[in-house]
Amino acid sequence: MTPAVVSLRPGRAPARRMASLAAAGRLLRLELKRNVVPYVLPLLAAVFYFDTFRTADGYPPVWTVRASVIGDHILFEFCAFAGGMAAWAGSRERRRKALDLVASTPRAVWARLSVTLAGTLGWLLLAFLAGVAAIYIPTALQATWGGPPLWPVFAGAAGVIVVTIIGFACGVFFPGRFTAPLVAIGLLVLYQAGFREALGVTASPGTAALLSPASAVPSVDAGVYHHVAPDVPITQVMFMGGIAVALLGVLALAAALRQRAPARGRIALRGWPARGDNWLLRTVAVVLVAAGVAASWTAYSLAGTAKLTAAGWEIPALHDAARDRPVPFVPDCRSAPGGFQVCVHPAFSGYLGDVAAALDPVAAEIAGLPGAPVRAEQVASVGTWPHGYGPSHTAGNPPVLEYSGEEVGDLFGVFWGIPAGAGPDWRAGFQQGLLDPFLTEPPHSAAAARTGPTPLGAAQQAVEDAVMVMAAAGSPPPLRIGQHGHSGGPSQAQITAAASRFASLPGSARHAWLAAHLAALRAGTITAAQIP
Amino acid sequence: MIATAAALRPAPARTAGAGRAGVRLAWLHLRSRRVPAGILALALCGGALRAALHWHWAFSSGPYAQQIPMIIEAGAAAVIAVTSHSPFGETERAAGRWLPYLRLLAAAGMCGLAIALLQLGAAGESLNQGILVLARNVTGITGIGLLCSLVTGGLLAWTLPIGYMAFSQYALLQGWTAPWTWPVRLPADRGAWICACAVFTAGLLLFTIRGPRIRLSDKC
Repeated sequence: MTPAVVSLRPGRAPARRMASLAAAGRLLRLELKRNVVPYVLPLLAAVFYFDTFRTADGYPPVWTVRASVIGDHILFEFCAFAGGMAAWAGSRERRRKALDLVASTPRAVWARLSVTLAGTLGWLLLAFLAGVAAIYIPTALQATWGGPPLWPVFAGAAGVIVVTIIGFACGVFFPGRFTAPLVAIGLLVLYQAGFREALGVTASPGTAALLSPASAVPSVDAGVYHHVAPDVPITQVMFMGGIAVALLGVLALAAALRQRAPARGRIALRGWPARGDNWLLRTVAVVLVAAGVAASWTAYSLAGTAKLTAAGWEIPALHDAARDRPVPFVPDCRSAPGGFQVCVHPAFSGYLGDVAAALDPVAAEIAGLPGAPVRAEQVASVGTWPHGYGPSHTAGNPPVLEYSGEEVGDLFGVFWGIPAGAGPDWRAGFQQGLLDPFLTEPPHSAAAARTGPTPLGAAQQAVEDAVMVMAAAGSPPPLRIGQHGHSGGPSQAQITAAASRFASLPGSARHAWLAAHLAALRAGTITAAQIP
Repeated sequence: MIATAAALRPAPARTAGAGRAGVRLAWLHLRSRRVPAGILALALCGGALRAALHWHWAFSSGPYAQQIPMIIEAGAAAVIAVTSHSPFGETERAAGRWLPYLRLLAAAGMCGLAIALLQLGAAGESLNQGILVLARNVTGITGIGLLCSLVTGGLLAWTLPIGYMAFSQYALLQGWTAPWTWPVRLPADRGAWICACAVFTAGLLLFTIRGPRIRLSDKC
């Protein structure tokens, strides 16, 4: 008999475990089937389409820029619905007056709650990942360089998880008909307050600004010239994950706390973890709470040590210096028949034709003159919104116009938008960005590199207008922002007349006059009336 | 005998008794809808608005300045929508002759109270766009919530107001000008007022006549 018993025992334990897993699987399947989240998915999808999808669609197909909608938009929508729906699911037993009924089941409270939470979270994470796919798939089809960044997805998923668990815990602890909407509103207010911090408009944007998953839209070439450091997303995941883990522990403790609380009006914790019933679960729950609090506190402390560098926020304890090296790339270039070369980063190769079409005619007008650029090259934008970006400038020998995806001359947001939408104003902005430093500053000027070209004088303005008229095959150039109407100087009509006179000259005559008078024109000693 | 007894009963006492019964009926109706707790929730919304304005959680100007007030106004409207749920269902409908009037009273009263409490919360602080936009948002989004309760039932009637608010946040930043996106319009904008009032009127009327859906919301 004994050998038979011994031989049977090893087989029973795995069978019990399998049966237990199968039962848990059945419970989860039932939960997924009857969960409330699918009923709200159409509404969530509608808001997602208008808010997130359309916003991302208006961004250039640059991975980092498109991925920014995960924290800025998707998470906002999930704050609204995930928190409320989770609170609704968490308060279900109380709402359906089934507390006594389910208390008699052999499953522990924690097991029941975890199945409900898993079902709710499963649906919400599925919806979140579907949303990410709806952003990433079109980007993959449109982007000409780079690959999908994963840290924004991890941070977004952590945000969805923590929002869901907060809502669920509120539903469990404060079951009531007002819990769901109030949780949704509370989470949205929290999100927006964090967003305001993240935009850096407060006097001292601090730790909260970095821990907020919502942030300002990055510059158009973020992650293109330098890797985006994952320091801040790691901290955010750690912070939100810590909150989620701690709340899971609190949920596991909830039933035991409730049992012990009414005895004398206070909770007696002495010897409590060692009690015979479910002591392992309670111990694990306490460990979860402690680990979650420690993780969140650590993340908060790490965020406090962050430093702003040219490549973005860096956290010394997490930063990998090896990632600071520039990302190697081969620029996309196009040369005009006159030899002028236009280069863009391969991530923006869709703009190459438009940039070349804007610059080539103007470059041909000034080709061969002293200080005339021989190439226009896109460089990394320096600076951040809303504090401003570094201006474009002409530098080097031979001179090269260096512009960024954010700014050239007076034109801001150069590569925001769709290449095919490049209109006359956009082209004129590029042309002015090339001509302004050529007409106002001596070549290789360090001042121009620092501050950008100085405002044009009347004669310089007339020459620029004439060159742009010729470049645009006779159509008048768009008005410059902030350049017309010098007080005490010639009127706009006089400038326009001078430009018309100069434009009516043969090309060789214009070129010869510029070659002879360029130094005086740059020095501002030529008046509009002296222009032939 | 019956006629004599009726004739002997003093008329003023009967009126007072009917009045007391009416008040008691209204009070029971409000309690069954958790209106006292709802008023507490509205006061909480007013407190949240005051805190947001006082500690500058929101922007002080520009389109972003309307975001947090709009969220809280939608929250107040969602609370009103949730109070539409009745725990009695069909039984109450079959027996309650005064039910439509009580529903009308409760919804309209809660809406007015929400505006008053939110304005109280914003008193002394700089509320972007002022009380007119606040009142218009609460009124219109409450109408959406009441309409939603006809489909989803009272307990889930908060979903559509929250969804509309989330959409309005997008419309706010994109500068939409359609009248049906009234939260983004100027305080004195006539089209926005017409849309908000029309939605509220439609919601209130249908809610008064039909009442919220009873079954769906409690299945999940």
